[in-house]
Amino acid sequence: MDNKIYLYDNNFIGLLNLISFLITNKIKPQNIKNLDYQPNLLDELINLNITIDKEIFKYIIKTSNKDILRILYYIYLSKYDNKELVIYYFYLNMLKYHANVIHMRNLKCVSLGLKLAHQVKDEVHKLKGFLRFQELSNKILYAKAYLNNDVLYLLSCHFKNRLPLEYWIIKDENRKMYSVYDKHNFYIVSEENFNLSTEKLSNNEKNMQDLWKEFYRTIGISERKNDKCRMNFMPKKYWKYIIEMEQDI
Amino acid sequence: MQLKEKLIILADSAKYDASCSSSGSMRKNNKGIGNAAFSGICHSFASDGRCISLLKILMTNCCIYDCKYCLNRKSNNIKRATFTPEEICAITINFYKRNYIEGLFLSSGIIKNANYTMELLIKTISLLRNKYHFNGYIHAKAILGADQMLVKKLGLLVDRLSANIELPTSDSLKLLAPNKNQNQVNDIMQYVHDHKDEKFVPSGQSTQMIIGATAESDLQIMQQSEKMYHNYSLKRVFYSAYIPINNDKLLPALKLPPLKREHRLYQADWLLRFYNFKVSDLLDLENPNFNILIDPKANWALKHLELFPKEINTASYHELLQIPGIGEKSAKRIISSRKHFKITFKDLKLMGVVLKRAKYFIICDGKYFANTNLFNKRFIESNLILEDKSPNTHNYQQLSLFNG
Repeated sequence: MDNKIYLYDNNFIGLLNLISFLITNKIKPQNIKNLDYQPNLLDELINLNITIDKEIFKYIIKTSNKDILRILYYIYLSKYDNKELVIYYFYLNMLKYHANVIHMRNLKCVSLGLKLAHQVKDEVHKLKGFLRFQELSNKILYAKAYLNNDVLYLLSCHFKNRLPLEYWIIKDENRKMYSVYDKHNFYIVSEENFNLSTEKLSNNEKNMQDLWKEFYRTIGISERKNDKCRMNFMPKKYWKYIIEMEQDI
Repeated sequence: MQLKEKLIILADSAKYDASCSSSGSMRKNNKGIGNAAFSGICHSFASDGRCISLLKILMTNCCIYDCKYCLNRKSNNIKRATFTPEEICAITINFYKRNYIEGLFLSSGIIKNANYTMELLIKTISLLRNKYHFNGYIHAKAILGADQMLVKKLGLLVDRLSANIELPTSDSLKLLAPNKNQNQVNDIMQYVHDHKDEKFVPSGQSTQMIIGATAESDLQIMQQSEKMYHNYSLKRVFYSAYIPINNDKLLPALKLPPLKREHRLYQADWLLRFYNFKVSDLLDLENPNFNILIDPKANWALKHLELFPKEINTASYHELLQIPGIGEKSAKRIISSRKHFKITFKDLKLMGVVLKRAKYFIICDGKYFANTNLFNKRFIESNLILEDKSPNTHNYQQLSLFNG
């Protein structure tokens, strides 16, 4: 049995270049993994050291369109274990069906790929709402969240447009990564390379949180109380970081 | 009075307004704080399951009117409070930058007169936009009877403007809200409709009707909605199940709000706006109210079984939308996929089309999901009722996310 596992640089463009190379050379991989992959006994790891060519983005857009490129990127951000293989087969079908590949939902790689992309999009959308910043004593706005999929970059884009004149930091508690915004750009850095000087809250912070909690408590109509419905829209896994829900966990 | 106490009073008196949608605006950040998200964003969900998107407050709950159904009516002996414009701005900005909210929904009781109240709303929102450079979403209530010039001013500052019709007929309004009249509502809606563009009320107007405080049938309610959608291109009509707050001999003695009825009205409203249904398809003088056991679309389909089952591979888009359980998204997926392959039941599942309800009304490539003898009204009806047993687990506010 073939146990070849192909390795790519830990980024999206590296993966696309590898996949394109494999397809051109008619290689059907057993699996594709990034450089952090911990192999099993039987795995045969292969690193082809493919040169990175940015033209691949243009090529994908030319073969299909921007939306397909975006879908591939979203699948790449998914936490799904074999996402690389999903992208490989999605890509293969894109070469055959071009932009129509998204209509081929009877193919498993397409329906699964679109499902993963949707989950990523959905997580970004939910966190655009559920993320909570706290103001630190140095006026920096600081938010922590447990990100299932790797959506720190997409979230940061949203807050860059929304809060351009504030200093803010978002921490992904899952991957131990920070996104740090300096009023011009945001930078994504790992825990080892970043030192949050203080987590002390500003003088006004508890006050504001208190006001918000009172508003939250007041705005619900007791005659319409519906815990099940609330849980549907705001699943408990998010509550830990939603300040108005903390006390209910 | 402490700011916290004010906030509690003025949120409590604003909470009965159903709208909290923040969608439909493309407002960009312009060297300040905030922007709008076209699809709208829910930031939290209250204990009643409703989305919290906006800081929903009244500027003041003092009111010279005495509307029977309203908590803030002048004859109620309740604590009164008034925010200053600066206070409203400070809370909005502080909540916004912590990402608690998408923006502000500001309404008010009537102090002195309509124009005076409206001017105060304008002053507050203008401060928020121009001094605080706030580019987030703002929804304001237009005050009935205020000058057109003021409606224009306010409309240029906000994303959404709404005037509440309050009750389904003008007779009911006269009875329960003697200081208001339906022409004032129509005037504002007409003005907004005629002047709407990307600068003036870019995300459109909505309104709200209280359900169950007066004797109107669902037919009368839906006819009023249909008329307003048609005449003023409203984005939304919100239906608010009447909650007995005040004791008054003119009000019904309900114990619980008619939530199930409200839910059916929302479903039917959806059919009007996106599925090409007319009120006359759904209700008539002999059946003026919705079936509480079955949703309006399935109820319609059961009455027109001669049109079913529909073949998924050939039905038109319009016909697909008539199938219970099939929405816009599924219909579009079916149309674009079947150009490339013949759709089977298995494919529908892969395509993410939910078959729970739809399966009774379709055939795929000539096949019914079960023995074709079972395609009869009694079988389908009883199965649909069984599946629809827990209606309140869903809250239909969610619909406003994309199309509010």
